[in-house]
Amino acid sequence: MRIAIRPAAVLMTLSLAAAALAGCSEEAAGDKDPAGAGACKPADVKLVGQVRNESNPYEASWLAGGDAFAKSVGLTQQRLTYGGDSTKQQEQISQLLAGDTKCLVMNVLPNGDSDTAPIVKGADKAGAFLVTQWNKPADLKPADYKTWISHITYNGVESGKQIGDALAKSIGGSGGIIALQGVLDTAAAKDRFAGLQASLKENAGVQLLDQQTANFSRAEALTVTKTLLTKHGDKVKGIWAANDDMALGALEALQQAGKSGKVAVVGIDAVPDAVTAVQNGTMTATVSSDGTWQGGIGLAIGFCAATGKLQVKDIAADNRAFYAEQFLITKDNAAQFAQPKTDPADFDCANVFKRVAGPLK
Amino acid sequence: MTVTTGVAASRRIIRRGAAFRDAGPPVALVVIFLIFAALSPQFRSIANVQNIVDAAAVLAVVTCGITFVLMMGSIDLSSAGVMGASALTVSLLVANNRNDNDFGLAGIAAAIVLGCAFGFLSGLALVLLKVPSFMATLGVSAIGLGVATLMFAGVQPNISDAMLKSWAIDRFLGLSYLTWIAAACILAGWLIQRYTRLGRYAFAIGGAEEVLTLSGVRVKPYKVAVFTVAGAFYGLAGVMVTSQLGAGLVQAGNGYDFSAITAAVVGGTLLTGGRGGILHSTVGVLLVMVLTNGLVQIGVSPYWQGGVEGLIVVAAVAAAVIPQRRRNQVVK
Repeated sequence: MRIAIRPAAVLMTLSLAAAALAGCSEEAAGDKDPAGAGACKPADVKLVGQVRNESNPYEASWLAGGDAFAKSVGLTQQRLTYGGDSTKQQEQISQLLAGDTKCLVMNVLPNGDSDTAPIVKGADKAGAFLVTQWNKPADLKPADYKTWISHITYNGVESGKQIGDALAKSIGGSGGIIALQGVLDTAAAKDRFAGLQASLKENAGVQLLDQQTANFSRAEALTVTKTLLTKHGDKVKGIWAANDDMALGALEALQQAGKSGKVAVVGIDAVPDAVTAVQNGTMTATVSSDGTWQGGIGLAIGFCAATGKLQVKDIAADNRAFYAEQFLITKDNAAQFAQPKTDPADFDCANVFKRVAGPLK
Repeated sequence: MTVTTGVAASRRIIRRGAAFRDAGPPVALVVIFLIFAALSPQFRSIANVQNIVDAAAVLAVVTCGITFVLMMGSIDLSSAGVMGASALTVSLLVANNRNDNDFGLAGIAAAIVLGCAFGFLSGLALVLLKVPSFMATLGVSAIGLGVATLMFAGVQPNISDAMLKSWAIDRFLGLSYLTWIAAACILAGWLIQRYTRLGRYAFAIGGAEEVLTLSGVRVKPYKVAVFTVAGAFYGLAGVMVTSQLGAGLVQAGNGYDFSAITAAVVGGTLLTGGRGGILHSTVGVLLVMVLTNGLVQIGVSPYWQGGVEGLIVVAAVAAAVIPQRRRNQVVK
C-alpha cells in the first residue's frame, strides 16, 4: 500500500512546490515599478506571438511576420498556438507570466472578446508589455492600464462595404447577389454584413436575393452556394462572402455548377489562394489586413516600449486602441500582395502608428 | 457454428418487431421531403434533388465508417482528425502546387491506408490499453489534426490533379462521380455488414458481447478490425473533401464526426450498439441533408436555421426510439 501512495505524495509535493514558486515569481513581478521597466537592453527582451493555430494561412503569415521582426532586432519570437481553445490560451499566458516578465513583450490574438480581460489583467499585474488584436469588449480600454500598450483591430463595416462596392461595380451596378455570412454571433460577421447593407443602399440596382451563413468555412460555403444556385438559378450575378475561405468554397461550387467565370465573387482576408484567384481574374476582390504586418507590429510596439524608445504614457490616446489601415485588392494591385512581406521601416519606433486609420470607438 | 445460429435466431426474434420500428426514419424522410416539396418549387426541381444527393456523398462515406463502430456499441470521434490528415496526405501526393509529386491513384490509396492506420491505432488503444473508445478516438483525432498541421506547414496545398478534381465536377447519369463513389461505399458497407464475419460480429458485440466471449469468440481482433475499416472510410472521405474543395485543408473533417453520429442515430442506429446498420444510416444521412437543404430553399432565416434543425433532429430521434424504449429499455 505504501508503495502505491508514494508516487501520489511525490506528485503532490512537486505541485505544491511549483505552486509556491509560481506564487513567488508573481509577487516579485508585482513589486516591480512599471515606470522603471522601460530600460530593458534590446537583447534581454523576450518576444512572444500567440495565435489560434498555424493551420490556416492567415495566422501562419502572422507568425511569419513576428519572426521577421524578431530577426530584424536580433531576437527570436516564441510562437504559441492554442488551437482555438480559450482555456489553453489562458494557461499559456499564465505560464508565461509566472516566469520572468521584466522584459516580456506579447502580441496576442485573444480567442474571443471575453478572453481579453484576464490576459490584460495578468499582464498588467506582471508588468509585461502587451498588444492585443481583433477581440476585446468595448468597455475594456488600454488607456486604463500601464503596460497594455495598444489594441489593434479592423473596421469590418468598411471592408464589408469595400467589397460590396467592388462587387456592384463588377456586375455593372445591377443584378442579384447572394451573401455568405460568417459565424453569426461574431462581431466580424455582424460588422461585415452591415457594410454590405450600407453598400446595397448606395447601389440601388443591386438586389440581395438571399443571405445564409456558412460559418466562415470553405466546405460549408460549397454546399450552401450550390443550394442557393439551384434556388435562384441565373439570377445570381455575384456572391459576397464575409471571408476568403467561403469565397473560395463558392468558387468551387460555381465550377461544379458549370458557372465558372459567369458569377463575380468577393471575399475578405486576402489569404494567398484568394489573392492568386484575384490575380488570375476568377475572383473580383478581397481585402487585406496584412497578417504579416499584424504579427510584426504588435511585437515592434512592445519592443519599442520595453527598450524605452516609446513611453507608454506619451502615446496619443487615439493610438492606444485603433482601427488599422486595410487594403482593397483587385486585379490591378494583386501582384504586389501576392508575396506577403514585411517592410522593416514599418517597425521603426517612429513609424509603428503610421497605419492608424482611426480611433476605436 | 453455434454462435452463428444463435445470432441468427436472436435476429429473427428482433425482426418480428422490426418492420414497424425500422419504418420510422424512411417515413420521416418521405414526409419531410414532401413538406419541403409542397412549400418550395425550387426544392422539388431535379437539379436540387441532384444537389442534395451530391452534397450527401461525403457524409454518407463517413457515416458508413462510423456505423460499424456504433453497431459494436463503441463510439468514434476520430473522423475529423483522420480526414484532415488524409486530405493533406492526398493533396501532397497527387499533382499539387507545393511539390512535384504526381502519384495519382497511388496517392489516393496512400491516404486511405493512412486512415486505416489511424483506425488501427484507435482499435489498439481500445483493446490493449483499455482506453474507452470515446477517449481513444478523441486522442487519435487530435493526433490526426497534429499530423495534418505539420504537413500543412503554413501553405495550403492546392491540387491540380485532373482526375481527382474531375471527381467533384464530372457527372455520370446526372450525379457527380463522388456520389457514385459514396454509393459504392454504401454497397460495400452493406455487403460487409450482411455477409462477412466482421460485420456480423460487430453486430453481435454490440448486442451481447458477453455471450460472444463465452462462446469462445476472440472479440478483440474484430474490434480492432472494425476501427480499421472505419478509418479506411474516413480516409476516403478526406480524399473526397479534397476533391470537392480543390485543396487540402486541415479542417477538411470539421464537424463530420458529430454530423455522422447524428445521421446514424437519426437513421435508427443505436448508440448502445446491436441495432441499425448501413442502410439505416444512409436514410439518416439523406434526412439530414434534405433538412439542411430544405430549410435554405424555403427561405428560413439563417438566424433560425440552427435551432430549427436541432429541433427537428431531436423530434425525429424521439419518434424513432419511443417504441424501443417501451419494448426493452435499451435507450438509457
